Amino acid sequence: MSRWRPSPGEERWLTVAAELGAVVPRSLLAERAGAWRSTGPLARIALFVLGHLAATLLLGILGFSNEAMLLAAGLVAVLTAEWLKVQMHLHASGVEEALGVSGFLMIGFWLSLRIVPASELGGSSFHVLALILAGGAAGLRYLNPFVTTCAAIAFVYWLGSTASARTLDQLVGGGMTAFTSGFALAAVALALGARHYRRPSHDRMLDWLVATLPVAAYVQHATWGYHALAQAPAAVGTGRLATVAMLFALGVAMLLTGLRRRRHAPLLGFMGCVAGLAVEWRLASTVAAETWLIICGLAALVAGAAIDQYLRQPRNGLTSSKLTDREGPLDLLQTAGAALLAQRSAPEAPPESTYTPGGGKFGGGGASGSY
Amino acid sequence: MHTLEPELRTLHAEGVIDDATAARALARNCGQVFSLHAELRATLYAGVLLVMAGVGIVLARNLDRIGPLGIVLALALLAAACSLPAVRARRAGRPVTVAGDYLLLLAALLVSADLAYAERQFTLLGPLWSWHLLLLAIFHAAVAYTFASTLVLAASLAALAGWFGVGGSFGDALFLSTSAPVLGVRALACAAVIAAWRSADRRARPDSTFTDVFDHFAANLAFWGAIAWCAEWPWLAAGLPLLAVLAYASVRRGLDTGREMFLVYGVVYAAIGICAAALPRLHGTTPSLTFMLVVVCAAAATLWLLRRRLRDTGP
Repeated sequence: MSRWRPSPGEERWLTVAAELGAVVPRSLLAERAGAWRSTGPLARIALFVLGHLAATLLLGILGFSNEAMLLAAGLVAVLTAEWLKVQMHLHASGVEEALGVSGFLMIGFWLSLRIVPASELGGSSFHVLALILAGGAAGLRYLNPFVTTCAAIAFVYWLGSTASARTLDQLVGGGMTAFTSGFALAAVALALGARHYRRPSHDRMLDWLVATLPVAAYVQHATWGYHALAQAPAAVGTGRLATVAMLFALGVAMLLTGLRRRRHAPLLGFMGCVAGLAVEWRLASTVAAETWLIICGLAALVAGAAIDQYLRQPRNGLTSSKLTDREGPLDLLQTAGAALLAQRSAPEAPPESTYTPGGGKFGGGGASGSY
Repeated sequence: MHTLEPELRTLHAEGVIDDATAARALARNCGQVFSLHAELRATLYAGVLLVMAGVGIVLARNLDRIGPLGIVLALALLAAACSLPAVRARRAGRPVTVAGDYLLLLAALLVSADLAYAERQFTLLGPLWSWHLLLLAIFHAAVAYTFASTLVLAASLAALAGWFGVGGSFGDALFLSTSAPVLGVRALACAAVIAAWRSADRRARPDSTFTDVFDHFAANLAFWGAIAWCAEWPWLAAGLPLLAVLAYASVRRGLDTGREMFLVYGVVYAAIGICAAALPRLHGTTPSLTFMLVVVCAAAATLWLLRRRLRDTGP
């Protein structure tokens, strides 16, 4: 047993406890997980936000008067995180992860400012790289897939902003260097996912990369594509074929891998590639935005309905039914998403209405009606 | 890849988990059973989102070409078409499928957009335009009950909140668009109506699947209402005790039902309310930030302890 973080065996028992819920006596699993304690997904998210807020407030209290405050705030945050980890045995609880990540970022930024002062030419690129490395190191230390993924995405974006990438882009097409790097990283993560890992968190780190990198890399590329389309439509065609080919190849690989391995991450990555192909179609054609939106939306609905119909009876172990009735973040997102859509499509106050902010009466937008 | 097969087999061999639980857990863990439910929902939600965005642009751009009446009729027809799978499932006595449920949501949203458009074009209710939101809330509620759809119920509650004047916009959240106490009254009144509706629903249908949706809406609205009162004196005198009562009730509910989201609501909203009440009365940046830091640390510690208690006592 390590003092610094759970051993792979202990982490596995923590995962078993999370998956089985209350089916197994807590005391039994707690014994096998060492003294390490974890929390649920929703509380972890809330504690992560609170931890970040605490670190930011700490920096605000110390002030931004000089660079040393970054080091002081960073050290306090990291030491608190380490105390929570080592003494209190918190693992994947949100708060120690957020404090640790914030502290690593502050110390990393301070260190980069000491090496290359802010006033120096080209310093900002180095500072960004230092922040990315600090974030990545924190993610690995606290075994947090969200943080390692953010660091990987930021690295891909940083790579695309370097002078060498810009030179390369002039030859192969704008934004292609970052796009290709992101896709290559996703492909490597997909290939590495075939290995068996003792630590569930290492596997999750790869899963997150597989699920998010294609979309993140493509968004960066598509943003450039839209910008270039507005500036010089003729210049855009260079890398489009390569983009479509990569999206298609990685998408197919992800779909097949996801179905073969029975993993969600490659399937989510596949969905990202399909979305990218749909955007490429829009960029390459003269179809109106509303037509494109409605066609893509209907295609998604038809595909969803067909899969639902086909897999209602499990086929080769694949099913479209829920396997658990436990309320998770996805259920909450679904409810919130439906409410958000309803709010956007509901009637709004007419422009010439007697709307008086702050002086509203009961019955809708403060605009009219009386209670 | 990772598999927890050895651990699950150990628990089974020790008799800690029964055969059925072990078989289920092993099947899921080894990929013998794999559900595409999450991917399916994401795809269907994206489909609804894209269609609604497209319809929004059609409404804005093609008014002259199609004409208002044509648009209203086309949307109504589209909504009727989208509701067909749910209607057919209900007639056959089958539960509505996931895809049918999302298509039903799309139908409900199209009806909302249709009504919004008709109201804008024909000003059917004139100065009482906001009553359309109440009509929509009632209509969506009827659809939700007919097809047992939680998604459409969420749409109904969103329309109801809109009718009360709690749009859920960013400006509302920061009390920018209207005065905080007025927003608080509206949010609390809406929460009370939803709580009463929930109670009636539970009495009429003890196995209702709508309870969770009611709970989340009522909790969020009530907390925002109480926080809105905390921002201004003399409402603060009522807002703070109300916030304390709501936080206690939310935590109690979370502990009793084993749902950690209610612990998060209780703790996080209480911290926001305390900051909203105290910060305008503190002078200087450092005291304000220090106070916030203390509140944030206390909230994090409380949430952690409550979550541990939930693990120890939860179902």
